Amino acid sequence: MIDVLLQTLLNAAASGGVYALVALGYTLVFSVLGVINFAQGALFSIGGYLTYLLMGGRIGVNGALPGWGLPAGLPFWLALLLAAAGSGLVGLLVERVAFAPLRRRGAEPLLALITSLGAGVVLVNLLQLLMGAEGYAFPEAALAGLPNALVIGGARIRSVQVLLLAVCAFAVLVLTLWLERSKGGRALRAVAEDATTAQLLGINSEAMVRLAFVVSGALAGLGGGLVGVSVSLAGPYMGISYGLKGLAVLVLGGLGSVSGAIAGGLLMGLAEALVPSDASGWRDAVAFAILFAVLLLRPSGLLGRRPVDRV
Amino acid sequence: MIDNGLLVQMLIGALLGLSVYLPLAAGQLSLATPAFYAVGGTLAALLSTRWSALGATAAGTLPLGSLVLELLLGGLLAGLLALLVGRLVLRLQGIYLAIATIALVEILRVAILNLPFTGGAVGIFGIPQPFATAAGYVLPALALLALAGWWCQRLEGMPLGRAMAAIRDDELAARCMGIDTTNVKLSAFVLSAVLAGSTGALAAHFLNTWNARQGSFDVSITTLAFVVLGGSRSWLGPVVGGLLLTALPELLRPVGDVRLVLFGLVILLGPVLAPQGLITPALLARLGRWGEEKER
Repeated sequence: MIDVLLQTLLNAAASGGVYALVALGYTLVFSVLGVINFAQGALFSIGGYLTYLLMGGRIGVNGALPGWGLPAGLPFWLALLLAAAGSGLVGLLVERVAFAPLRRRGAEPLLALITSLGAGVVLVNLLQLLMGAEGYAFPEAALAGLPNALVIGGARIRSVQVLLLAVCAFAVLVLTLWLERSKGGRALRAVAEDATTAQLLGINSEAMVRLAFVVSGALAGLGGGLVGVSVSLAGPYMGISYGLKGLAVLVLGGLGSVSGAIAGGLLMGLAEALVPSDASGWRDAVAFAILFAVLLLRPSGLLGRRPVDRV
Repeated sequence: MIDNGLLVQMLIGALLGLSVYLPLAAGQLSLATPAFYAVGGTLAALLSTRWSALGATAAGTLPLGSLVLELLLGGLLAGLLALLVGRLVLRLQGIYLAIATIALVEILRVAILNLPFTGGAVGIFGIPQPFATAAGYVLPALALLALAGWWCQRLEGMPLGRAMAAIRDDELAARCMGIDTTNVKLSAFVLSAVLAGSTGALAAHFLNTWNARQGSFDVSITTLAFVVLGGSRSWLGPVVGGLLLTALPELLRPVGDVRLVLFGLVILLGPVLAPQGLITPALLARLGRWGEEKER
C-alpha cells in the first residue's frame, strides 16, 4: 500500500515538474511581452527528438533519412543539455519570425497568438517530415548505470521518475537563482516590470526579449527530453498536449508569476494522479476543468500579481 | 481540380470561418467554434442513427426534412450551451477569453471521447445519408452559407451589429454610450455557436462518421487561420479565407507531405505580410466604386 502511494505521489511530482517547466517557459515570455508563445509545445517536441538523436538514436522507416543517425551517441545528460540549447535556439528563431515583425509594426498583441501558432504548426510538421509520425523509444542503454527501481523504506519506485523530478527541481532552482541574483536575470525582470523605464535605465530591452525566448525554448526542450526518456516519444505532436496543459498551469498559477507556475505545475500533476485508473480517459480533461474553474473564480491565478481587466 | 466533395468541405470551412468571425466582430477572440461544431455534429450523428422517427432506412438514407430538423436542433443545442457558457466566459478579456475557450474545446473533446454513447475513439459511423452523392450536399451547404452571409450583411445595419462594431473599437466608450455590452457580446457568441452547431450537423452527414477529433484544438487553429487570412473587417473575409485555406491543402496534395508545412507558413506569415487579411476595407471600397461605375 505504502509503495503505491509513494509511487503515485512521485509520478504526480514528476509530471508536475514537467508541467512547471513548460509553464515557466510561457511565464518568461509573457512577463516581458504580455503575449503567449503558442509554439511552446512544438519546442517541447523538438527537445525530445533532439535528445533522442544526440544519444545516437536512428531515424525510423517513415522518416526523411531512414536509418540515419549520429555515428556515436552522447551520454544522456549531455544530450539533454545540448537538446535544451538547441530548442532555445529554435525558440529564438520563433521570436525573430513570429514576434519581432509584429512588434516592430506595433500590431495588436493578439496577432502574435496566431503567428506563433503558425510557427508551431510549421515546426511540428517539419519534425514529422524528418522523423515520421511513429513513436520512438529511447535505447535501453540510455540510463545505463541507473538501477531500474529504487527501494525506499520497503517501497519500490521507478528511478527514472526520481531522476526526472531531480532534473526539474534543479532547473527550476537554477532559473530562480538566475532571475533573482544575476545581472541578466535582474535586467529581464526590470523589462518585465516596465520595458520603457528599463530602456531608459540602459537595459537593452530587445536583447532581454530574445533572451527570454531562448530560456523559454530551452525549458520546453528540457521537458521534452525528460518525458522522452521516462515514457517515450509519442510522435511529433506529443508536445502539443503538454503545451496545452502548460497553458492550464500558467493560468492556474497566475500569468507572469514564476512561483505560481511551479506551484501550479505540482498541483496539476497531483490532480491528474488522483484520477482513479478506471476513469483514466477523463484524465486529460482534469487540467482544463481546473483551468476553466480558475479563470471564472480567481482569474489572477493562485499567486498571480496582475489583476485581470474585468467588465 | 475541385470536385464536389472538396467544394462541400470548402463551404463548411467558410461557415466555420464566419462562426469565428462573429464574436471577433464584437472584439472577442473566441476559439470555441470547434466545441459547438462538435456539439452539432455529435447530436446529428446520435439522432439519425438512434432515433427511428427521423426515418433513416436500413439502406442508410435519410429524408431531407430530417436533415433540416437536425440542422435546427444542432444549432439550438449549441446555442443553448453558448448561452450558458457565454455568461461565464465573456467576463474575461483578450488572451484569458482565448484560453478559456480552448479549455472548453478540450473538455468537450475528452467528454465526447469518453462518454458511453458516443462510440469512443472510433466514433459514430454509418451516419445515414440524405443524398446519394457528395454533389447533393453542395446545395444545402451553399444555402446555409448564403443565409449566414445574408444575415451578417444585414447585421451591419442593425442596432446589434452597430453595437458590436462599437465594442470592437472601444469597449469602455461603448459602455459609456449606454450599450449593454454584456448582452451584445453574448448575442454574438450565441449566433456564432448556432452557426457552428448547424454546420456540424451538416458535416456529420457529409462525412458519414463523427468522432471526438472533429472538434479538437487543431480545428481552433485552422478556423482562426481562415479569419486571419481572409480578414476580419467584413464577413466576406472569413468566407474567402475558409474557401481558400480548405482548398489549399488539397490543391497542394501533389506536393506531398510538405503541404502542412506550407499551411503553417500561411498562418505564420499572413499577419505579417497582410495584417488586415485579403479582404480589406480599402478593397471593399474599391469594389463598391467599381460596382457603381458599372451601374452607370
